[in-house]
Amino acid sequence: MQHMYKYFISIYFLFVFVDGFSQKQENDTIVASKTDTIVYKTNYGLRVGIDISKPIKAQFRGGYSGFEIVGDYRIKKNLYIAAEVGYEKETTKEDYTNSTAKGNYMRLGFNYNAYKNWLDMNNEIFLGYRYGFSLFEQTLNSFIPNVNTQYFPANEITNSAISKNLNAHWSEFLIGFRAETFKNFFITLSGSYKIITSLKEPESFKTLFSPGFNRIFESNTGFGFNYTLTYLIPFKKK
Amino acid sequence: MRKIFPIIFLSILIISACEKDDFCVQNPITPNLVLRFYDDANRENLKEVLRLSVWAEGKDTIQSYKSIDTDSIAIPLNSIENKTIYHLKMNNIDGAIANNQTATFTIEYKPKEEYVSRSCGFKIIFNELDFSSDNTWIKAFTPNTLTTVANQNAAHVQIFH
Repeated sequence: MQHMYKYFISIYFLFVFVDGFSQKQENDTIVASKTDTIVYKTNYGLRVGIDISKPIKAQFRGGYSGFEIVGDYRIKKNLYIAAEVGYEKETTKEDYTNSTAKGNYMRLGFNYNAYKNWLDMNNEIFLGYRYGFSLFEQTLNSFIPNVNTQYFPANEITNSAISKNLNAHWSEFLIGFRAETFKNFFITLSGSYKIITSLKEPESFKTLFSPGFNRIFESNTGFGFNYTLTYLIPFKKK
Repeated sequence: MRKIFPIIFLSILIISACEKDDFCVQNPITPNLVLRFYDDANRENLKEVLRLSVWAEGKDTIQSYKSIDTDSIAIPLNSIENKTIYHLKMNNIDGAIANNQTATFTIEYKPKEEYVSRSCGFKIIFNELDFSSDNTWIKAFTPNTLTTVANQNAAHVQIFH
């Protein structure tokens, strides 16, 4: 039943976006016919900032802390190279296990802006790709063997076992919305779908969370979410 | 170009709605020991044990094995000990207490944790099993030792009576 709800909610999300795009399409055709010959110059430069979703998440969820610095550099009219570096620590509480993963990560890639701006505005709807990797350690804090019987209950085992030098490599596809709220100051919202390409697992356990990747599902995929505040350091106008 | 957004979103959300690791659907995770009862005179044939009750040393009778007629039982092993002693009481004459016969079946082993998945956690597998019995109504059994019990797809011990 829970999956059914999820499915319906998913379908609603789809229609939200279909609706949104059909309206924007109309704007485009009107603008294009009026502003054929005038060229509006926009800023090129390095944009840096932080992901504020991570400190907020840390406030509301015990066992989590994280920090991320983001940056991108505009190389063409619609193309940016982008990178993120950060640190994350998360305690994963499952029915039968409790584990903590912590470490550093980096993501490198590019964003393509698919939004046609009015005049000299600098808003974006972008698609992106990232290659990501993380170096981390995972501690199995405690676990209860799943003996599925009350006849011989199992004891909780609390000798924590630490696995160091773990790493993960992944590919990430993202979609995001960016708005210039003040001059050279941007708010960005983006979501991503990630696929693990290589993962060094601890012995006799599994990596349940990787910094920068988020929760690793059984199928070695995952989802990410970013909410960033960035400032553009303009180098030139063209 | 813009048509790609809904397509990407649709595929992401469908995949997210189908993730199956939220619930542990595997059952049982930790294997029980499966005993099957055969006829001692004709060892090819299964033979029901009549009015069988099963309990472990110092424990109550297992709810599902309380004076039942069966040719097969699956019993849990104690994962925090190296040994489980079971008492198997049967009565193949009538319900009178005087005709009850009780056999002891002892299992020695080395339990070991094995990781299954996020939702199922760790299961216990049992290695280097060693069986013994006081041979009252249990005439014989095979095998005497077993390398491992990691699942319960097939019977682990054949008991002749």
